[in-house]
Amino acid sequence: MTESKKSEGENPRGLKDDEMAAVVVAGSIVVFFAVYWFFEIMSVRELLEMAYG
Amino acid sequence: MNSATTRQSPIGPYPRAAIATGLLVLLLAFSFSGMRAEVWTALLPFFEWMETTWFGYVGKTWGGAFATIQAGHLVSLGVLGGAVLFSDGRLLGLYSSLPLRDVIDGSHQVFKWALAVVVFTGVFMVCGVAVKVYYLPVFWYKMLTLTVGVLFAFYVRKPLVDRDLSGVSPLVIKLTAIASIMVWFTVAATGRWIGFS
Repeated sequence: MTESKKSEGENPRGLKDDEMAAVVVAGSIVVFFAVYWFFEIMSVRELLEMAYG
Repeated sequence: MNSATTRQSPIGPYPRAAIATGLLVLLLAFSFSGMRAEVWTALLPFFEWMETTWFGYVGKTWGGAFATIQAGHLVSLGVLGGAVLFSDGRLLGLYSSLPLRDVIDGSHQVFKWALAVVVFTGVFMVCGVAVKVYYLPVFWYKMLTLTVGVLFAFYVRKPLVDRDLSGVSPLVIKLTAIASIMVWFTVAATGRWIGFS
């Protein structure tokens, strides 16, 4: 375990790359789907208002 | 020092992040350009051919066979969702008494098999109703989210969680877990949406 941590500490570039990729992609997914589901919910609300006032 | 660890990638110090960003930009460019309509039109003969295959013939002729395969599809999607929630829930800090590494590795094995069954049964089902789903926008939303989900799971999430997570920012881990849940939730939701279209 200590050896594993040591080897990762010696190669911070790989770790940073994985983290950077995760931040970029996960951030994009969260923002995209938050906006997407917001508009879906608004659309359903408008339909309900048209149907029931 | 090992020469392999010091070798610079031709696309900079963050190759994985650069490729992921490039793919996201390409996806956006494809979605908001005329290329999308061109590809969609060009795919029609392929979908018409799918209905003429053995899968398409069975799917259209025997409702019982279609329903049975669909049951397998839904069950495997449920298993896949369970694996995602179990693993990402652990990453979010739930049931912290369970060993993190065992949960992540075990869930990934279940996830892989469930995904294989989801894709196989999904191809069978599409063959039965290929031309119908071709004209459904929500089918393409599902294909898009499924592609994003698979690429995200194997190309971004897996390399991250395979590392010693004590050295990774908890914020990044939680963001990854939330994104994973969101994308697979949307795959399931759009899948059911096809059924109601």
